[in-house]
Amino acid sequence: MILINCPYCGEREQSEFTNGGEAHVIRPKDPDSLNDKDWGQYVFYRSNPKGIFYERWVHSHGCRKWFNAVRDTSTDTILKIYKLTDNKPDISEFQSSLKSPSGEPAVGSGNFAVKK
Amino acid sequence: MPALRNKDCNYISNKEIKITFDGKSYSAYEGDTIASALLRNNIRLIGRSFKYHRPRGIYTCGIEEPNALVQILNEHNEPNTRATVKKAYDGINISSQNRWPSLSFDIGSINNILSPIFSAGFYYKTFMGPKGFWKKIYEPLIRRTAGLGKPPKNFRSKSIHQNHNVDILIVGGGLSGLIAAKKLIDTDNEVLLVEQDSFLGGILKNSNKVKQIDGKNVFEWVKETEKLILKSKNIKILKNTLVTTYNFTNHLIALEDKYSGKKIDVSKSELTLHKIRTTHTILANGHIERFISFRNNDLPGVMLASSFEKYIERYGVTPDEKPVIFTNNSSTVSLVKSLINLDCKPSAYIDARKEEDIEDETKEYLSKNNILFYPESEVEGCEGNKKVEKVYIRNSNNKISSINATMLCPSGGFNPDIHLFTQSKGLVKWDDKIISFKPDTAFQNTITLGSVSGNYEFKNLCNEINKKLSFLKVGDLNLEIETNIRDNLSIKELWETKTNKKSKWSKSFIDLHNDVTTKDLKQAINEGYDRIEHLKRYTTNSMGTDQGKISSINSLGIVSKILNKKIAEVGTTTYRPPYAPLSFAAIAGRSTYEYYDPERKTPIHNWHIKNNAIFEDVGQWKRPWYFKKNETETMHQAVQRESKQTRQSAGILDGSTLGKIEIKGKDALEFMNLMYTNAFTKMKPMTSRYALMLGEDGMIMDDGIICKINDKHFLATTTSGGAPKVFAHMEEFLQTEWPHLQVYLNSITEQFTTFNISGPKAREIVSKVFSDIDFSNEKFPFMTFKTFNYKNTQARIMRASFTGELGYEIYISPQHALELWELIFKYGKDFDLVPYGTETMHLLRAEKGYVVIGQETDGTVTPIDINFNWMIGKKKKDFIGKRSLTRSDTAREDRKRLVGIVPLDKSQFIEEGQHIVECENLPSKIKTPIEYLGHISSSYHSPNLNHCISMAMIKSGNKLIGKKLFVSTPKGTKNIPVEIVSPVFIDPENKRLTS
Repeated sequence: MILINCPYCGEREQSEFTNGGEAHVIRPKDPDSLNDKDWGQYVFYRSNPKGIFYERWVHSHGCRKWFNAVRDTSTDTILKIYKLTDNKPDISEFQSSLKSPSGEPAVGSGNFAVKK
Repeated sequence: MPALRNKDCNYISNKEIKITFDGKSYSAYEGDTIASALLRNNIRLIGRSFKYHRPRGIYTCGIEEPNALVQILNEHNEPNTRATVKKAYDGINISSQNRWPSLSFDIGSINNILSPIFSAGFYYKTFMGPKGFWKKIYEPLIRRTAGLGKPPKNFRSKSIHQNHNVDILIVGGGLSGLIAAKKLIDTDNEVLLVEQDSFLGGILKNSNKVKQIDGKNVFEWVKETEKLILKSKNIKILKNTLVTTYNFTNHLIALEDKYSGKKIDVSKSELTLHKIRTTHTILANGHIERFISFRNNDLPGVMLASSFEKYIERYGVTPDEKPVIFTNNSSTVSLVKSLINLDCKPSAYIDARKEEDIEDETKEYLSKNNILFYPESEVEGCEGNKKVEKVYIRNSNNKISSINATMLCPSGGFNPDIHLFTQSKGLVKWDDKIISFKPDTAFQNTITLGSVSGNYEFKNLCNEINKKLSFLKVGDLNLEIETNIRDNLSIKELWETKTNKKSKWSKSFIDLHNDVTTKDLKQAINEGYDRIEHLKRYTTNSMGTDQGKISSINSLGIVSKILNKKIAEVGTTTYRPPYAPLSFAAIAGRSTYEYYDPERKTPIHNWHIKNNAIFEDVGQWKRPWYFKKNETETMHQAVQRESKQTRQSAGILDGSTLGKIEIKGKDALEFMNLMYTNAFTKMKPMTSRYALMLGEDGMIMDDGIICKINDKHFLATTTSGGAPKVFAHMEEFLQTEWPHLQVYLNSITEQFTTFNISGPKAREIVSKVFSDIDFSNEKFPFMTFKTFNYKNTQARIMRASFTGELGYEIYISPQHALELWELIFKYGKDFDLVPYGTETMHLLRAEKGYVVIGQETDGTVTPIDINFNWMIGKKKKDFIGKRSLTRSDTAREDRKRLVGIVPLDKSQFIEEGQHIVECENLPSKIKTPIEYLGHISSSYHSPNLNHCISMAMIKSGNKLIGKKLFVSTPKGTKNIPVEIVSPVFIDPENKRLTS
């Protein structure tokens, strides 16, 4: 179980939080002006990268506040936590961040625990 | 025969205990494991193997044991207990497993002769046909023979969880762990030291390898060090505790056996699951000896060399006085020395290494003691009747000779126990020197010390530890470690010996737990399973509860030889937690039975119990399902009675479980218009409206009644189970999409108790109870509400109905709820008022054609699909889900639509969940699939119409009204002919509701 540093309450166990999927998906201001494809893109499509992912969390068993996080999905390392009102941090900020020593490929899964 | 005690041993008490194994009583000593107790009594046959039912004995002396699994009869019949770990106590009652009728004569051993059909991929190749055999023959057969032990009896564990937050966790209280802990004494670091055994010391207590530390005998040194550690304020020691899991962010799980060596006290917690958060994890969890595959390497009497030595040093019992020792490395000479010290002598010492590679000290020692020595030789196999009797040796000239012996001790080298390290996502590397994997790069704050890091040399140890812990800025510690054997490991790669003899019974095993042979590995590779993860699953190699601790690296060795690859290229399979089996009771902790989930009860709950309510779980709520009028009344009779009486006179439902949310603020109106489909702008204050909430995909999420007090103040009800979800949904949009809206939400579900009174007599009853309120149709029309004071608390009455009858919903403070409920019954008596439960509620709403969220809808249903076009505020610019209602898929003409269904033959009953089709008879052989038109979502016997009424979701159902179709039945091939009708069966003009 990972630890999450709620920007309002501090570091707490993951079980106090609920994941809210990808962050920075903005609801269109005028939905009627969108065609089916663009609206469908907003409703149904989310990115699912292996690696750096911007996502939303809510401290559901705590202050009930929503906030954003940047997480490395291949290792579950949380790289940054920021409030909804903060600007989206640039991806270049994290590219040199800690990666799994086994250097898993960008796509796919498997066991890469052995140094070649 | 008295229990053996070959050696004075510091870890075993003198107190004698009695144990029972397979019905026979034996003596042992306090401190014994089941295995050491049985060895003391010369018992070597412990159980039968998983697949072939081959006789098996004790192979190891610890957690890595693949064979000696037993059932503890006096501990709720606990199965698959490792005899090599579980401590015995006076009165323990043990039974062997997987044998019938007895351990020495087992019918299942016929599987060994049938073994060609049980080879690799057995599960994938067998049980494939003929049709119908699976359910009637294969499955029951497999269920009867599957598993080793019998399931435990129903019991209630009292195990608990405990949390730790420490700076440093040391896993393993062996030599390295103790040195690390000693360095940390009286520092600012909070330290937890976890040891799986009941004594600290690791290799110091388990072997004869170390003679002295700082001039002291090792037992004295450990005792002294432990005392120092316990005296320091910053270090805690947990014994009998096994770290099983290494999660992300340095979170580890350890299981403590509180009753190790003691009879369990059922009134106390027997297991503690420790959840440990740490900044740095020091892994000092040592190494595990591996075996070598040879013919019949599973016979009782084959025991790993270091385990044999551990029985002598740790338990004071010599399993055999004249074992044959077979090794490929330099460590085994320490076992020879242990034996010689006890005036015992190995029958032979077989070393696979070339003579010139074998240490001179070893050769001298062997010749000095006249021990038969076979350099550059290997064990071809062994034979015997349920025990080792003869050992076959292939010498350097490829000649095979045999010697008589009753025990054989192989040693195939040592694997650093990298299990926890790889769980932590660390990277491992193949080391040709020790011929095994060892930790390379840590991913978390993990430090490996001693043999787990691949360092088997005692003289280097302090150096290594000082260097690796230098970042902690604690002083260096240098100990003088004097050993009994030469200090650096020399080893020759050897995974399997060449087999000469072939008989049906002979097998060379690679996985003793799951009965996988080296032949199976070869066969699987021949069949194309040459990737290690595939091979593992195809052969079930290393998939037993021991997870192949003594054999998985060996299988990589054998596979790499066949594939002609390096072992590092073959790779390992993934090491997954837990490290060793973990009791479900420990994982569950206190979260069982009534503590599993909170129970929510309404303020009327005790009244319901007194009036024979049968309860139904709705989310966490306990709701009356129906009220049993007398002992003999069935549920069907009760529901028919309640439904009829409500339509004829009046009924009352405890609706307190409905979710209630208060929405307040400057922008409340705008917010409500966005959250719900309905238009609230033109709605008059003090009126209410049935409303729908959609997801952004346009599908119905929840429904409820919205009361508008004014543009800045609304009250919403939700379904009983949906309240938390709806509240969170509102909060989410307020925080994320519309933070500019000034709206405040308040959950008031438990602040108001709710009663629903409905029926033609409802008005007369409420008029009596609240005599100062005018309930006339003109003054209190349908879908309006009034607020008033009830004994200085807020109260509200709304005219609304979920039954189709004239109805009132009363919202009252819980503190006055029960007295008001009883008052209503006092006045209601004259009007034949009946309490009804959720089943009657469902029946009555179905008669009226009202939907239930989650029954008619399933997350794929739009408001249009259930004929609720009128509820959509089409003029509103936006609300959640609006745009999705005009997507090509939601606007499709042939979507499933809500209809009513009645059987043509009024005596027939339609079951919920059945399919609606076009044909009456199902053909005996179906060639082309029969078209599925839809399904029955609700079905009841209506007491007011006296026939079955159903609701269904059917493709283009709105265009099929009046058409004849068929509904399938759970049994039989004849479908029920039905007519498609409007889903409103009673009072379609809403006369009852509005007058």
